[in-house]
Amino acid sequence: MSKLSMKDRYGLLTRDLDWSPTYVDPKDVYPYTTFEGIKIHDWDAWEDPFRLTVDSYFKYQAEKDRRLYAVLDSYAQSQGHLGLSDARYLNAMKLFLQGVTPLEYQAHRHFAFLSRYLDGPGPRFAALCQSQDELRHTQTETHTLSLYNKFYGGFHSFSKMHDRVWYLSVPKSFFDDAVSAGPFEFLTSISFSFEYLLTNLLFVPFMSGASFNGDLPTMTFGFSAQSDESRHMTLGLESVKFILEQDEGNVPIVQDWIDKWFWRSYRVTGLVAAMMDYMLPKPVMSWKEAFKLYFEDQMLDGLFPDLAYYGIRPPRHVADAIAEKDVLSHQVYWTLYSFSFAAGFTTTIPEKENLDWLSAQYPDTFERYFRGNWEKAQRIRDAGGRFFFQGLPQLCQTCQIPMLFTEPGDPTRIAFRRSEYKGESFDFCSDGCKWIFDREPEKYVQAWLPVHQIFQGNCGGPSVPEVLAWYGLQEGDAGEYEGSLDQVSWADWHAKGGE
Amino acid sequence: MGVRAISTYEFPSADRQEMYGDDQLVHVHWKGNLFMCAAACFRAPRAMPWADFKAAMVDGWASSDPDYTPDAPKSWELDGRPFDPKPDQSLADLGVGHKSLISFAG
Amino acid sequence: MAIKTPPKSPPKSPPKSKARPVGVHVQDNEQNRAVIEAIEQDNPDVTVTHMPGLVELQTVGQLVVRRATVESKLGRPWETHEFQMAIVSYIGHIADWDEDEIVIRWDH
Repeated sequence: MSKLSMKDRYGLLTRDLDWSPTYVDPKDVYPYTTFEGIKIHDWDAWEDPFRLTVDSYFKYQAEKDRRLYAVLDSYAQSQGHLGLSDARYLNAMKLFLQGVTPLEYQAHRHFAFLSRYLDGPGPRFAALCQSQDELRHTQTETHTLSLYNKFYGGFHSFSKMHDRVWYLSVPKSFFDDAVSAGPFEFLTSISFSFEYLLTNLLFVPFMSGASFNGDLPTMTFGFSAQSDESRHMTLGLESVKFILEQDEGNVPIVQDWIDKWFWRSYRVTGLVAAMMDYMLPKPVMSWKEAFKLYFEDQMLDGLFPDLAYYGIRPPRHVADAIAEKDVLSHQVYWTLYSFSFAAGFTTTIPEKENLDWLSAQYPDTFERYFRGNWEKAQRIRDAGGRFFFQGLPQLCQTCQIPMLFTEPGDPTRIAFRRSEYKGESFDFCSDGCKWIFDREPEKYVQAWLPVHQIFQGNCGGPSVPEVLAWYGLQEGDAGEYEGSLDQVSWADWHAKGGE
Repeated sequence: MGVRAISTYEFPSADRQEMYGDDQLVHVHWKGNLFMCAAACFRAPRAMPWADFKAAMVDGWASSDPDYTPDAPKSWELDGRPFDPKPDQSLADLGVGHKSLISFAG
Repeated sequence: MAIKTPPKSPPKSPPKSKARPVGVHVQDNEQNRAVIEAIEQDNPDVTVTHMPGLVELQTVGQLVVRRATVESKLGRPWETHEFQMAIVSYIGHIADWDEDEIVIRWDH
């Protein structure tokens, strides 16, 4: 007797296990898939190229976990942290644990929701697998980084920090926006915009950065997760194509979502840009280079011509993102440097060789616009001080990032955009963020903006120490890297292991 | 266009002026100085005299740049219009509203 | 409102429109050496770039991973599902995945 083909097996274990309810109204079983205006005529047209079934899913996922935990064990046993390029590298991983890991958990929850509330069995099963994947990512990231938690600060209260600390409202509000949207918008925002359009830009240089800086566990985790990400990318692309193919009326709705979510996701990646260019003692490639390769070449030149078939065009405001690639990382890291007294990580003036590397990577902008800040910061250090912004910044209502962004083409002028809604003014960093607000002001007027919440007295008190305590920060977590507990700990460890 | 929602979707704005009582949010921007990564955001009483605001908020913040002196600021603007505040005038008198942007050069 | 009918199964050869990059990023380890060699053999125009821990295989038009070729390099049975353990990321669209081969290309 011959084995079932992969295609038949998949059909039997997904589609053929489904049924149409006769005892309740289907609209009551699936109440969320019409309100967005998306029309689906045939859910069976959804194709999952991976054709995964429960048995193969768990077999391969278990194998991935086994391989990862073996590496984590041997790293811990061999005191692998001694092989890091420098303790200051770990600030990048604190940012990751605080900013990304809680999003994995949110994704887990929302894909579980979709695994119940999408009408078709194919997408429900794909969502269920993704929900399990995201929980696995939450767990594996936590376990991976707990290796460093034993020796260095900033890793301890990542979940609490995510809910409270100012720069973390950026990823948090991003995801809140997605999960409070309908299922189709969620798929376009997370599965497509985040996990397809921008995934290579986040993960490939990031894993290489871990590899270059002796961070074996993170690199291994990255590879372990990335094999899941290829399924997530596929879900994203398949879901968008499915929606577009089902009804021509879906096209303008999806276009609007692509426009919104490209920009929202791109703004969040500003933190990755700063990390790549400034937080890696041994950098791999510049943000500018990564953006060109992983977004402009692969997505704009590869993916969007494919979607043109459906009448989809590249995202609105993409030209602003391209124009910004020469300045983004510098502006964001300078802001993190200015405010790290209130962060769950430390910052410092880059080493001379890093500054020279930046100069070579950014020949048109670094010397002219950014070297000067570092020189002035160094003068202040040499005089025994340390520059920090003395106050709180103006925030963008939509992306919640300090309004550090400049006019496209002119890095000397901060960009200010404004809207009025029901007699109140709202401020934005860019045309992209203003456009997003103007489409759905009812959503963004509710934003929990960290600076404003501090001023309303909702963050532990009026003084900085009270706010930091409310944030969950501990001694040594924040401020300047030089002289920090992390640096002292590093020197201590390396003196011990010296001979 | 507005939010598409499964039911009524109306929520109060989190930062409407009444949340600040007799105070309001005011932004201060040092034009062209990249050392200040962004404009600052302050909470200040609407009745605060300009001289107090200038000393406590503007000077207090801007002097973290070692090249700043309190008499350096010029070309003041309020929400994009020329601005010439007198020391005794209150923010309210001057037309500084909730989330207004005050900027200067120098 | 009329449903826009998509083309049925995509044609076997790459589309005649402008050939765009397609590719796959694979973990650089011992198990995957055979997979990488198989891809190189079955896609003669592929360019191979080594990054730390990963290998980027890129071509234009279409990239195919064939079970039979992998098995001939590996020396043991291999199922295409195993490719999930190797893949880090891909560029393009997974046009087909069955017991015998995986095809990555753009649809349109």
